[in-house]
Amino acid sequence: MKTNIAFFFGCRSVEHEVSIISAVQAMRAVDRTKYDVTPLYVTKSGEMVTGEALFEIENYRDLPALFKTVEPVALVREEGAVYMKYQKSGVFSKKKPIRIDVAFPVVHGTNCEDGTVAGYLEYLGLPYVGCDVLSASVGMNKAVFKDVLKSAGLPVLPCITFRARDYLTEKEPILSKITEQIGLPLIVKPVNLGSSVGITKVENAAELEAAVSLAASFADTILVEPAVTALREINCSVLGDADDCEASVPEEPFMHDAILSYEDKYLSGQKGGSKGMASLGRKIPADLPPEKTEEIRALSCKIFKAMGASGVVRIDFLLDTDTDTVYANEINTIPGSLAFYLWEASGVPYRELIDRLVQLAFKRQRGRDNLTFTIDTNILSGVSFGAKGAKGAKL
Amino acid sequence: MKIWLFLLEFSLVVLLPISGLFALTRQFQMLQQNSYFPSRYGGWVKTAFLPAMAGQIVLAVLLFFLVLKAPVALSVMLCAFLLGFRIARAVSTQKKSIKKLVFTARIKRLYATAAVWYLLLALAVHFSKGTLSSFLFLFLMIFVFVTPLTALFCRTVNAPLETAVSHWYVRDAKRILRERPDLIVIGVTGSYGKTSTKFILSRLLSEKYNVVATPQSFNTPMGVVRTIRQDLQPQTQIFICEMGAKNRGDIKEICDIVHPRYGVITSVGPQHLETFRTVDNVFATKFELADAVLQNGGEVFVNGDSAELMRRIDPSRYKVYGTNPTFPFCANGLTCGRNGSAFTLSFDGRELAISCPLLGMHSVLNLTGAAAVALTLGVSDRDLCFASASLRPTEHRLELKPWLNGSLMIDDAYNANPEGCMEAVRVLSHFENMQKVIITPGLVELGDKEEEYNTKLGIAAAEICDIIILVGKNRSKPIYDGAISQGFARDRLHVAAGFQEAAAIYAALADANTVALLENDLPDNYLY
Repeated sequence: MKTNIAFFFGCRSVEHEVSIISAVQAMRAVDRTKYDVTPLYVTKSGEMVTGEALFEIENYRDLPALFKTVEPVALVREEGAVYMKYQKSGVFSKKKPIRIDVAFPVVHGTNCEDGTVAGYLEYLGLPYVGCDVLSASVGMNKAVFKDVLKSAGLPVLPCITFRARDYLTEKEPILSKITEQIGLPLIVKPVNLGSSVGITKVENAAELEAAVSLAASFADTILVEPAVTALREINCSVLGDADDCEASVPEEPFMHDAILSYEDKYLSGQKGGSKGMASLGRKIPADLPPEKTEEIRALSCKIFKAMGASGVVRIDFLLDTDTDTVYANEINTIPGSLAFYLWEASGVPYRELIDRLVQLAFKRQRGRDNLTFTIDTNILSGVSFGAKGAKGAKL
Repeated sequence: MKIWLFLLEFSLVVLLPISGLFALTRQFQMLQQNSYFPSRYGGWVKTAFLPAMAGQIVLAVLLFFLVLKAPVALSVMLCAFLLGFRIARAVSTQKKSIKKLVFTARIKRLYATAAVWYLLLALAVHFSKGTLSSFLFLFLMIFVFVTPLTALFCRTVNAPLETAVSHWYVRDAKRILRERPDLIVIGVTGSYGKTSTKFILSRLLSEKYNVVATPQSFNTPMGVVRTIRQDLQPQTQIFICEMGAKNRGDIKEICDIVHPRYGVITSVGPQHLETFRTVDNVFATKFELADAVLQNGGEVFVNGDSAELMRRIDPSRYKVYGTNPTFPFCANGLTCGRNGSAFTLSFDGRELAISCPLLGMHSVLNLTGAAAVALTLGVSDRDLCFASASLRPTEHRLELKPWLNGSLMIDDAYNANPEGCMEAVRVLSHFENMQKVIITPGLVELGDKEEEYNTKLGIAAAEICDIIILVGKNRSKPIYDGAISQGFARDRLHVAAGFQEAAAIYAALADANTVALLENDLPDNYLY
């Protein structure tokens, strides 16, 4: 009898492939003496499938061939537990539903990491690893993320947001607002995407148009913030929940271009096969004075708690080397490769990281079980409806 | 004529036994709800069923003579009517039942036995002739109509099979536990307080661990086995097992299945003396848990406030909890207020301020025992305090809630025993600096002792309360006299005719600094 972990990955997201890499890595790191693993791959068209072939990264090169070996499944809740049911089960090949004890979403980007998967699992009543609906969706929206941090008194760069649609019709007021409040150089981002997709650094006003147009193809709201010129990017991971959390050693990713691009993050060194974030050129731990390291680690925990996050996250900071000021830039509520390389550098092996994440999922579930969500008595049972109801209880 | 004769035999020998199977539903239901104990089930039959069965017997006798004398066609119709009547009644009885028959494997086996038995008798009737046939028919009809007899018969026939099945379950439960060497098993036993302690412990430990506890008051070997087989999950880290006993060896039997690593013994007292005979036997049985835990190299927590327990042990072998400062885990400085109880828990040279909504010394002791285990298992101070504060009282049992004019109510309406009543009055005394009121009709249904207990209640109330409101003039006379005998001022002693009047008296004198104890036997419609 082992705890069965269902790994969710893929999904209708621009970071579909990254999710596959992260999930395959994670599934391999699971302590199989303690846990069973069920892969739940959500295809780009949104179907949920399972199968042994999903454990092997090589099999994803040829998706049509992969789809022939996997089976469509659905999750259903029955008698207080959640089961994975095979959609196509014939009379002679009747496959028994498999009980899922805990879900482990390893999904990146919109339509999944933004609280969508968390909401689905919440609805099923299945314990799950990572951020809940609110913290995941706050983490996905860069503008809301900044607002939450600002109201908690934590350092973020100022920003303005506007609807891409309005930019076309009200260009002048928006432009003047940008010039007044942000100035050049600046960064243009889609408000709700991770992994650097659609992000442009704008050095002069002429480039702004193209940058907005690129960002608008990924999201309907655009965020503009000042670009830090003397910039070092520092990332730090946090593990735990709002009660207890700890920060990893910080890292410094190398930048080839002005901004770490999608290609840098996930496709560099592809000849040797995709290794995800772990393979990216980076310095671990980041070369920082000890006080700065501690400042960033303490700040990371504060951000994590302010958001009510859970599980493992990676917070990306901007370090302005001119002023020696740190700004929180964004949060990845399900970081690429689950930031395991930062935890291994902090003395937590990947296997133990997974184990701790699963235990956190159960801890949150216990907390919820101890709260009252439904009243056991059925109020309607004592009510009579309709004309005869003169003597019935009043609602 | 021949076809009618055939139909008659068919109805009598086939259809009526089928109606018998339906009628057995009620019997099996009650057998199930009496845990399949023939004696307990027999008790129900005697008190509730036999009187109602007289009509059935009359029907059976009538039918028997009709079959002998009446025209065949009429008999057939009567049989059909009877059949329909019995089936309809069996179905409607089930529908109306609050706790319905659960179709477990065991119940299905009972039905199978009953069906086979009816079939055998019916075949015997069919293939025999003359007097023998009549005799066998009478025999069949007895089993069809005297359903308790059939139910007990089936239970007896199935007994060896059931024993084998339960042995298999026990072995299966042992196998499951063998496969989980990392699982921490905690046994909880005691004459009083074991169920509450189990629930509190489960809540405290759930701050750190995935906990499964035996539900409700499942505390027999089969209850424990069932919990292990049905509720234990792969991620479960702690299994809390309540252990009940009526005889020597009962606790050992459960320990042999679950091998507890920790034990909590909440009390030893004169409970179940009809089977235990002496408190020494109670003690020996409860401490079968201690023996098992110590054998496994574990730790046993015992309630030092249980005098019968302490006088029989060497305290150095156990982790003692209670209210004595010399105990390793000590609760002291109990006060009560708007948020319930508050006390200081001292252990390991440290002190922890605990508050919990539960009232009463027994609750404080149960919580202290549970906290001792939780702290030993590494639950943090912060989590322990939080979990304690989030405990919820049982409805109408020293349940603290807001009431009229911003005052407090201690709802103890379901309390009907004299000791619990005295304890409730003591709870009131812990509400320091508050106006204390008791509203009670007194204790009832205590026979000869009723007056004595009520007088005692009056004396105790006079000592602690500022206002006494009695409900029902005649009923509460002994309380009145008890209070007056202590010199309680008459103008602070009110007698109300009913609860509405009592509430009106209370409303006139209650404020935010008032606490009212509502003690015993208050109608539900008055409580919320």
